[in-house]
Amino acid sequence: MTSSGPRTPGSAALVRLVAAREVSSRIRDKNFIISSVVILLLLLGTMAFQVAVTSGDQASRVAVAADDGRLGPAIEAQGEAVGVAVEVVDVPDEAAARDAVEAEEVDAALVGGIGPAPELLLVDRAPALEAVVGGAVSGLAVSDRLLEAGVDLQSLPQVAVTPVGDEGEDDGQRVVVAIIGVVVLYGLLILFAQFVAQGVVEEKASRVVELLLATMRPWQLLAGKILGLGLLGLGQIVVIAAVGVTGALAFDLVDVPGELIGTVAAVVAWFVLGYAFYACVFAVAASLVTRQEDLGSVLMPATVLLVVGFFVAIQAAGDPTGTLATVTSFVPGLSPLVMPVRRAAGGAAGWEVALAVVLMLAAIGLAVRLGGRVYAGALLRTSGRTKVREALRAEGI
Amino acid sequence: MLEFEGLHKSYGANRVLDGVSFAVAPGSMFGFCGSNGAGKTTTMRIAMGLVRADGGEVRWQGRPLDQALRRRVGYMPEERGLYPKMRVGEQLAYFARLHGLDAAAAARAAEHWADRLGLAERRRSRVEELSLGNQQRVQLAAALVSRPEVLILDEPFSGLDPVGVDALAEALLEQVRGGVPVVFSSHQLDLVERLCDAVGILARGSMVAAGPVAELRRRESGRLLRVVVPDAPPGWAAGLPGVRVVSERAGDTLLQLAPGTDDQAVLAAALRTGRVAHFAWREPSLVELFREAVAEPAGEVAA
Repeated sequence: MTSSGPRTPGSAALVRLVAAREVSSRIRDKNFIISSVVILLLLLGTMAFQVAVTSGDQASRVAVAADDGRLGPAIEAQGEAVGVAVEVVDVPDEAAARDAVEAEEVDAALVGGIGPAPELLLVDRAPALEAVVGGAVSGLAVSDRLLEAGVDLQSLPQVAVTPVGDEGEDDGQRVVVAIIGVVVLYGLLILFAQFVAQGVVEEKASRVVELLLATMRPWQLLAGKILGLGLLGLGQIVVIAAVGVTGALAFDLVDVPGELIGTVAAVVAWFVLGYAFYACVFAVAASLVTRQEDLGSVLMPATVLLVVGFFVAIQAAGDPTGTLATVTSFVPGLSPLVMPVRRAAGGAAGWEVALAVVLMLAAIGLAVRLGGRVYAGALLRTSGRTKVREALRAEGI
Repeated sequence: MLEFEGLHKSYGANRVLDGVSFAVAPGSMFGFCGSNGAGKTTTMRIAMGLVRADGGEVRWQGRPLDQALRRRVGYMPEERGLYPKMRVGEQLAYFARLHGLDAAAAARAAEHWADRLGLAERRRSRVEELSLGNQQRVQLAAALVSRPEVLILDEPFSGLDPVGVDALAEALLEQVRGGVPVVFSSHQLDLVERLCDAVGILARGSMVAAGPVAELRRRESGRLLRVVVPDAPPGWAAGLPGVRVVSERAGDTLLQLAPGTDDQAVLAAALRTGRVAHFAWREPSLVELFREAVAEPAGEVAA
């Protein structure tokens, strides 16, 4: 009588169904859409800010009176050498230069540049600009005098610059990338672990869980929920990473693209591990209560762990080899936030990263096993708050 | 056959089920009655694998109900449960898929049952936006949407208005005509009496009476005597040997006679009080059968 009846879906099919429901209902959820947009806007805003700060050092404008054609280029070259952008404006005479300064068309004006008594006119003192102009004028004067004395300038020795080892400016940039990464990581871990917890309580509070458990085992429900939301979270962090990397490269914010991508990939990988752990812990904690109002108190310990990890990670950026950073980068739950920063800051060796990953995987395994039992035991207790011990003692169903 | 056999369940010292057994034939409707806390919900939850029995098992077509077989059972829990923010149509399709229908069949079934239960207009509404009565219909549709071979419904009629009751009753009768065994629990005994081929009365963890309503009646009839004696003083029958007064209101007296008691002696006693307006054996209603069955036997105190 069941020739055309339904087939029996296997575990994989059930987990997939649950995961698909989680994704499709979350993707239409207002909170999710808003949070996604906010995170992307924040990221784009940060990059726009960076662009504004680096290029937005507006070039100082210097008026040069009666230039013989050498002073202007000399000032610009000197400015470039010390990292101060200078734009030179030619003016015919001293009066025009004075007018330009008073009208604030230029920041400063050089008069009598190649004469015996050069003078820099400006409204506000600007030490960097003064040094640039001073350097250019004296450099020109020195070379003139030397030329007069018949000295060959071509034979002067030049200093070659060779960066040594990992230390240097690149580390700074990697650490900044890692910190931004950890901020995103932290935000997404909190957000998606919360989604998992809310979903668990929603099913308990609405009692739909009884209908669900008539067709599947608790672990299938838990796995589907965590996988579905996890894929969504992974998708989001990959989009954020792609936008961030593309933006950083397009706006020329980083010097070594390879290292940027490496650091971002590490952050994404740590997200996967961190999410697996926190999603499981949050889900199990949530299964102990029946009302959304009680969620905050059961999630508190796990949330505190996340917050601690976040602040240690920020601290580790400044002191990647300190005891606190070193120890916490191995502690499961804290490592996903601390280790990417330590690695980026050059404070962690390859074996240390590997060890942290192994410890984290072990913790995830434990959370899944123990958590699965608590979850199964607590799921059908719909009166008030269940204690962990009661849930563990409860018959598995 | 859907067979419940020797179910035992205790929570600590509290013995909830103490050997509950009954069977439901395909194409028949079984009404499950019992006072609050008698163990009806526990029995159904054991069948659905939500509670593990200490002993006994539930079988369908001779095979113990396991996770795979349960997918062919439509279930309506006592605690109604649906995703509040999910749309009606999607929700029904989701439950159909959990029971093993493929996507296309699930969508068709969801549409069909939404139409059948008068929810066609609300297919795109979120469940939380519906009235309680409509939510109840969605709940029933969720039990029916997977074309179940067996229906187990815990208090399906509670909270429905009379029109809703009729619609649900019609839907269940149609399932029965299709050969599906239906078990439902209810406190509305008139409904059980009207719809069910057989009833089971659960009291103190075991079936105190089970079988076709007519058979239960026959078993109990011959013992209840209705005598209307308008002029009799209150308590006129209290002293008669072998007679228990079930109820007495203004001379309308319901008497239960112990086996071997002579009904003619009762009639003689009635005539002594004056005019006898009515004297007849009475078929007990299900309510009376129920009261009788669940009454705490004298001398036995529940632990």
